[in-house]
Amino acid sequence: MTLDPIKPAFDPVTLAIPLFVLTIVGEILLRRFRKVKAAYETRDTATSLLMGLGSNIAGLLTGAAIVAVVIWVWQHRIFDIPMTAWWAWVAIFFIEDLTYYWFHRLSHERRFWWASHVNHHSSQHYNLATALRQTWTGGVAGTWLLWLPMALFGFPPAMIAIQKGISLVYQYWIHTEAIKKLPRWFEAVFNTPSHHRVHHARNARYLDANYAGILIIWDRLFGTYIPETDEEPPRYGLVKNLGDFNILRVAFHEWIGIGKDLAGSRSLREVLGYLFGPPGWSPDGSRETSATLKAKWLERQKAEGEAEAAPPMAAE
Amino acid sequence: MNALLTQLIGSAVAVAAMVGLAAWARIPRPTLPLDQQTARDLIDTDYPGYPINAVWIAADGLGAIARSGDHALVLAQLGDSWVTRDMAWEAAVASPIRGGRVRLRTPDPAAPNLSLAVSGVTPWPPQRGPEAPESLIAA
Ligand SMILES: [Zn+2]
Ligand SMILES: [Zn+2]
Repeated sequence: MTLDPIKPAFDPVTLAIPLFVLTIVGEILLRRFRKVKAAYETRDTATSLLMGLGSNIAGLLTGAAIVAVVIWVWQHRIFDIPMTAWWAWVAIFFIEDLTYYWFHRLSHERRFWWASHVNHHSSQHYNLATALRQTWTGGVAGTWLLWLPMALFGFPPAMIAIQKGISLVYQYWIHTEAIKKLPRWFEAVFNTPSHHRVHHARNARYLDANYAGILIIWDRLFGTYIPETDEEPPRYGLVKNLGDFNILRVAFHEWIGIGKDLAGSRSLREVLGYLFGPPGWSPDGSRETSATLKAKWLERQKAEGEAEAAPPMAAE
Repeated sequence: MNALLTQLIGSAVAVAAMVGLAAWARIPRPTLPLDQQTARDLIDTDYPGYPINAVWIAADGLGAIARSGDHALVLAQLGDSWVTRDMAWEAAVASPIRGGRVRLRTPDPAAPNLSLAVSGVTPWPPQRGPEAPESLIAA
């Protein structure tokens, strides 16, 4: 068997489109007849789906250039990795998933890349439509560069494209409240609806956690794993939610915010901080970041814990 | 190219159908008009540790403005969810009223325009009277 190492034999995401439509229809109908937990707000749903459609179009604009770069790098590869070898697929499964973990972590912890990823988190809902709220500016943000070392190592461009597609399709079905928890062994190894609900939560305790693509093991390994607890249900969306459903605002608001901040910058330190600091970074620390929000939350937890632990005052 | 165009048009039709289905199903989260306590709780969630002097509730109960020292903490309903933003109290007080709503311009490009319903009973800015505590009175 021969497989074209450059042009993918199939695109998992395109193949999955009918599945996306059927399962969203299914989730809405099941909720309509009160069979599962889910919530759909009409304009929010429209925004999510239009972001998905727009992401496809934006991908067409930058896709060709990115593919050309990947191919060029692969032509200078170190090893020859055959696409037909089973071990090559096992290897790429793990390596691509690890790459995804770091891409995703970078996309949350540094503002320049957050500006491109923020749109995926901008819905206050968590349903299958939210999964399709995909970036328009990923090509510009350059996060695809993180996949180049795989091509340099020798993984054929088509193989990388297929594995990236498989990962995206895997991550689709976990955007649901309909599934509470899966068997323990599955939750231990794989990214699940429960783990990814935490990732989409704006509660301070859940911020910057569960960056996994397919395997949750990377979060456990690198210390970013936070389990979902019944005591604190996730509240979805951004720390500061968007003021309307305008898809242009969803796609570009953080870039505009960066532009505004850069225009008011007075030093190189400020420029670098606004671009590559954590989201919410400000020169005087007047804005909230994940770290300050988490610190405040911990402080409050401690204060409440102490108040509960204190013995009641004796009546006089 | 043709296949691509077919895919895009097909997707657009599917999007319209799914949005239509979501509208038909009427399954947003239930929301109730705000009362003082709910407004305070919602604002406290987004602004933990901010002391709240007093809260003004919009005429339709779909928003509120809390005073926290020199800050106005604005709460506005969006669909079945809520949005909060802070701005200078002075600027909030000076915001224009158009079409029965106070139009608040926040400094944040992620939510630059929020608007809340006003009425004769709940005017903005709050006026002296039994309804408005001293700390809310503009002056
Ligand atoms: Zn994310
Ligand atoms: Zn997600």
